[in-house]
Amino acid sequence: MSALSRIAVVAAKEVRETIRDRRTLLVLLVTAVAAGPVFLFLIFNLVARQADRAREIELPAVNVAQAPALADFLRRNQVRLVDAPANYEAQLRAGDLSVVLVVAPDFAAEVDAGRSATVHVVADRSRDRARTTISQVESLLRAYNRQWGSQRLLLRGVATSVAEPLRIEAVDLATPQQSGALILFLVAYYALLGSFMGGMAVALDVTAGERERQSLEPLLMTPARPLEIVLGKWLAVSCCNALVVVVTLAGFHLTLAYAPLPAIGVPFLFRMVEFARFLVVLLPLVLLMPAILLYVGSRGRSFKEAQANVSLLMFVASVVPAVQLFTQQREPAWFAAVPVSGQYSLLSHVLRGEAIAPSELALSYAIPVVLIIAALGAMARLLSRESALAGK
Amino acid sequence: MIRIEHVSKAFGRRKEVAAVRDASFTAPDGAITGLLGPNGAGKTTLLRILATLVVPDAGRATIDGRDVTGERFAVRRGIGVLSDARGLYPRLTARENIRYYGSLHGLGGRDLDARIDALVATLGLASIADRRTEGFSQGEKMKVAIARAIVHDPHTVLLDEPTNGLDIMSVRALREQLRGLRAQGKCLLFSTHVMQEIAALCDRIVILAQGKVIVEGSATDILAWSGAATLEDAFVTLIGSGEGLAA
Ligand SMILES: Nc1ncnc2c1ncn2[C@@H]1O[C@H](COP(=O)(O)OP(=O)(O)O)[C@@H](O)[C@H]1O
Ligand SMILES: [Mg+2]
Repeated sequence: MSALSRIAVVAAKEVRETIRDRRTLLVLLVTAVAAGPVFLFLIFNLVARQADRAREIELPAVNVAQAPALADFLRRNQVRLVDAPANYEAQLRAGDLSVVLVVAPDFAAEVDAGRSATVHVVADRSRDRARTTISQVESLLRAYNRQWGSQRLLLRGVATSVAEPLRIEAVDLATPQQSGALILFLVAYYALLGSFMGGMAVALDVTAGERERQSLEPLLMTPARPLEIVLGKWLAVSCCNALVVVVTLAGFHLTLAYAPLPAIGVPFLFRMVEFARFLVVLLPLVLLMPAILLYVGSRGRSFKEAQANVSLLMFVASVVPAVQLFTQQREPAWFAAVPVSGQYSLLSHVLRGEAIAPSELALSYAIPVVLIIAALGAMARLLSRESALAGK
Repeated sequence: MIRIEHVSKAFGRRKEVAAVRDASFTAPDGAITGLLGPNGAGKTTLLRILATLVVPDAGRATIDGRDVTGERFAVRRGIGVLSDARGLYPRLTARENIRYYGSLHGLGGRDLDARIDALVATLGLASIADRRTEGFSQGEKMKVAIARAIVHDPHTVLLDEPTNGLDIMSVRALREQLRGLRAQGKCLLFSTHVMQEIAALCDRIVILAQGKVIVEGSATDILAWSGAATLEDAFVTLIGSGEGLAA
């Protein structure tokens, strides 16, 4: 009987036992499946509401009834028109108001006569805080002016471009990209988290749990060598881990593709291609985490101790990407090689639609491969020691 | 054939706990050898040495001529062990627990199924064979553990206190099983702290106390050697106290 078939026997038995543990498995899969949709809905709605609030301007106005078409245009552009208070000039000086729109009393008459009609943008320009609102109002008025003018030209059979040789299009980098970046972070982060959490319970069960239940000693008396047992268990835990990761990503994919999410201009896609690329990037972690968890799980003197150590490890691993997001600095090149950190930055690349260089990918695989060999080797050595039996 | 020659084993950081001290004895084929000793005498340690999990500090132990430290994997293929730790997998059925060990020993397919069916019948496991082992009674677990230990039909069988927790019917069934194995010419070594077990079953007795072999031989040999009227008296005299004799 070959070593390979013994490894397969161990792996198959661990998988079967895991499947039999319905409750744990169900909780794990439901969490993984539900996480994507729930997360995305919450975040999308939050971001959408913030974006709305940011764009909406409250604009006190005088005589606006004179210019109903202008008022409609402004409302369509998320301006809420309110009646200006009588003492608006004083309030502007005091900084209680940012800007007031005053439509000239003869506005309608001038328009009817085909002359230029006047609106006043009344503001105290020395106030910094008012500046954004002022410029937003002014640019809306300019846009209206342009639209109105070009309509008149069109009526006379003149192309718009004659009167508007230069077209200015403002691209606002602030809002949509930032909200997109947050969602991007969450998708990448949750995918990483799946690759940590997926195998945790199983890894503990097949190491510390096996010893606690007194079935390790008889197992070690069979012809299966410690390394074969370790490899079998590693394969089984990795399978569970991979399953959880795939399910998590499927949740994201389906939500982004089919769910009625508010349109907030997310600057990334999560199609099948990205799905597949995610799996390629996450593969080293999907295999590394079980190896480390198994090693840590075999070390503890008791199940409780192993559980505590595993939780600590999880905490450290899950904090790394968050720290990376908040430091906001350009990462040094060696980060790409560090497990978790490297995968996180590659996942962000994938989401932004950037190509991943094969060398980068290879770099992100290198350290995990070394660590997997080290962790599994160390675990096999632990199991071949007499102290493995007593856990001392 | 098991041969133990001047084996010593101590535990602890400074080797301060001497578990086995210069022990020597043999257990021949076609016979049941009982390892009798009070709690802490070193029975489990000796069996673990034979099962290749513990390496002796000194001396040599062989099974069918193979050294238990030098050729541990070859030795493992030929032995079946009911160890001190005998946990089952609670989410697997009794049959699946037994089959796992059979597969690790390289068995498979119809041979393995037939072998398991035979064990289920002789050990009286039929009513529980396809139930998950969680919630099994002590005796039920023990029977499954025994079936698992001998599923690959080993030539040498080591049993560490196999009757613990068994009711009298099960003990009798187990004795029958062991006699059957003896009739097939196998080498059986089992440990116990219960005098009656030895008297009922063993061809040869090894009395162990504080890690040392006090005496080795048949029941009559031991009675003659100690000058006592009954085996129980002999045992108490030999180990120097009644401690650990209660079943
Ligand atoms: N792994 C170990 N570490 C330390 N002491 C041990 C270990 N295993 C056994 N001992 C000690 O060795 C002695 C013999 O134990 P054991 O072989 O279990 O006896 P028995 O099975 O006859 O009751 C006892 O004093 C026990 O405490
Ligand atoms: Mg014992």
